Amino acid sequence: MELSLGMRDIYPKEARLRKKIRETLCNLFERWGYEEVEPPTIESYEVLSKTIGKEIRERMVQFVNREGKLVCLRPEFTTSVVRMFAKESTEDLPRRVYYAGKIFRYPSSPFRFESELTQIGVENIGANTRASDAEVIALAVSALQAAGMEEFQVDIGHVGIFRYLLSRLPLSEDEKNVVKELLKGKDFVALQGFWEAKKLHTHPVASFFLRFPFLRGKEDIFAAEREHFPDPEWWQILDYLREIFHILRDFGLEKQLFVNLGLIRDFDYYTGVIWEGFSPHLGYPILAGGRYDELFRLFGKNFPACGFALFVERVVEVMQKGGKEECPFIVRLIYPPKWRSRAFQMAEKLRREGLGVVMEEKEGEAFFLTTPEKTLRFSLQESDNLELMVKELRS
Amino acid sequence: MKKLTIAVPTGRLKDEALVLLGRMPHCPCLSIDSRKLVIEEASSPWRVLLTHPKDVSTYVEYGVADLGIVGKDIILERGNEIYELLDLRIGKCVMVLAAPEGVTPETFWEKGRIRIATKYPNFTRHFLQERGVAAEVLFLYGSIELAPNIGLADAIVDLVSTGKTLRENHLKVLEEIVPISGRLAVNRISIKTKGREIQEFVEEIKGVIDGEPNPPQTHH
Repeated sequence: MELSLGMRDIYPKEARLRKKIRETLCNLFERWGYEEVEPPTIESYEVLSKTIGKEIRERMVQFVNREGKLVCLRPEFTTSVVRMFAKESTEDLPRRVYYAGKIFRYPSSPFRFESELTQIGVENIGANTRASDAEVIALAVSALQAAGMEEFQVDIGHVGIFRYLLSRLPLSEDEKNVVKELLKGKDFVALQGFWEAKKLHTHPVASFFLRFPFLRGKEDIFAAEREHFPDPEWWQILDYLREIFHILRDFGLEKQLFVNLGLIRDFDYYTGVIWEGFSPHLGYPILAGGRYDELFRLFGKNFPACGFALFVERVVEVMQKGGKEECPFIVRLIYPPKWRSRAFQMAEKLRREGLGVVMEEKEGEAFFLTTPEKTLRFSLQESDNLELMVKELRS
Repeated sequence: MKKLTIAVPTGRLKDEALVLLGRMPHCPCLSIDSRKLVIEEASSPWRVLLTHPKDVSTYVEYGVADLGIVGKDIILERGNEIYELLDLRIGKCVMVLAAPEGVTPETFWEKGRIRIATKYPNFTRHFLQERGVAAEVLFLYGSIELAPNIGLADAIVDLVSTGKTLRENHLKVLEEIVPISGRLAVNRISIKTKGREIQEFVEEIKGVIDGEPNPPQTHH
């Protein structure tokens, strides 16, 4: 009876919801011209360690295979997809692909257990235009909509902001890494302490970092923050982000979209625009993505790419909170054994029409079609009138 | 204005936390009945949850509270994914490694087998790991200071404010590991969806803290 630590069983009610989410998203991605790929469950450690940062690397489920090589259950999909398409040549690009499946990570803290999670996501390989960024962000917005989120928001930011600011501070590489870790950990108390220790607390860049939690808004934020650093390098980053924001506004997606200059994502491989989707009904993000133009370089190619993933368990959590549930329509067909062959014909007909049918033998002189709410009794002669009966059962 | 849900710890931080909130210019009148766990009035911009001190950061992480007042010791122990925005300068104390009087750092670390009693097992394990020490961590629920005296442990990792309890138990600080105080923790989604309200709250409470160079201290 023991369930392995960190694993979870999914019973029909949740499985139904998960399947609906998966099918809806896969259909959506296909309608945007994305094709499904299925990377393997097991990846070599060597491949993953090229791209995965320390935090996730320490959480990978790893073991030695028969050849004596260190392998892992995939902790995410992006690295596998990059490995797959790093074989291709430039003529095959651009490629638009999506994936749906399980990922495996040991929990991030001793107070958490879940180690098997589901991600559905897309990768757009081969383009690094503003339009391709906007396309993938627009698809992320559509995905949240399609998944059934009633209220959701997407924040867009840019890793260039954080890198530009960091480069403007008189700090060693090690010290920059300290700042990076503090920002990732969202520990602004320690960051303030660090600035004071380095006598940087009056430095305009250092104090700008302390505003990171609240650098969020719409179009107006660009003008508000532009002159903060009168530097073409700074303007270039803001202008890039603003252009993407404009494309998405032209697509009519401005309502759900916010600009967040303080957005930080924990994967180190992002190189450009980054984004995060969330619901006000859940305390943690449900979608995350970004541009990662350097990732292919680790596999010897120079392909730009961007993508995002949805965290399916979190989507399910929001849906369950909303109390949305669909019950399967299953009818029981009870029949006397002597009319068995007629009963099977009827069941097949109903199944072809998309109904779930369970058959049950019972001595007697009549057929019964039953649902939890209703029971219909009918004779052999009446059994031709199936459609009428189904209509009555459904009403 | 969106309503803010604030988790306030019971226990040693409660009084100071409530005094601090009460000094905020726009603090709604909070009638704190000690038996009530949720303080909510329709007209108030806040809903206050009184929670176990160790649970505050968990409430905030999972988003059932937008904000929380929580000891840094709890954040370090639980490793919650939250925004830590302000040092509230309440409940100040220090997380220390303490051992019986007469033990020096040299003799201590060179002792072959070390057993350390604590209420903070995860924090202690990380601390020892960074030190490169393979000590045994013994998780106790209370009366930590007793452990070395009765031979249960060689040292303790615990919070110290005045040092009185340590002295009474013939213990001495070997090392001050990290200063501890009450922090303002914020949920990472609320900071976006209720950004304006939270920013105003932060500015206000910051004004209160900055206006008090020597905030009153109570020690446990």
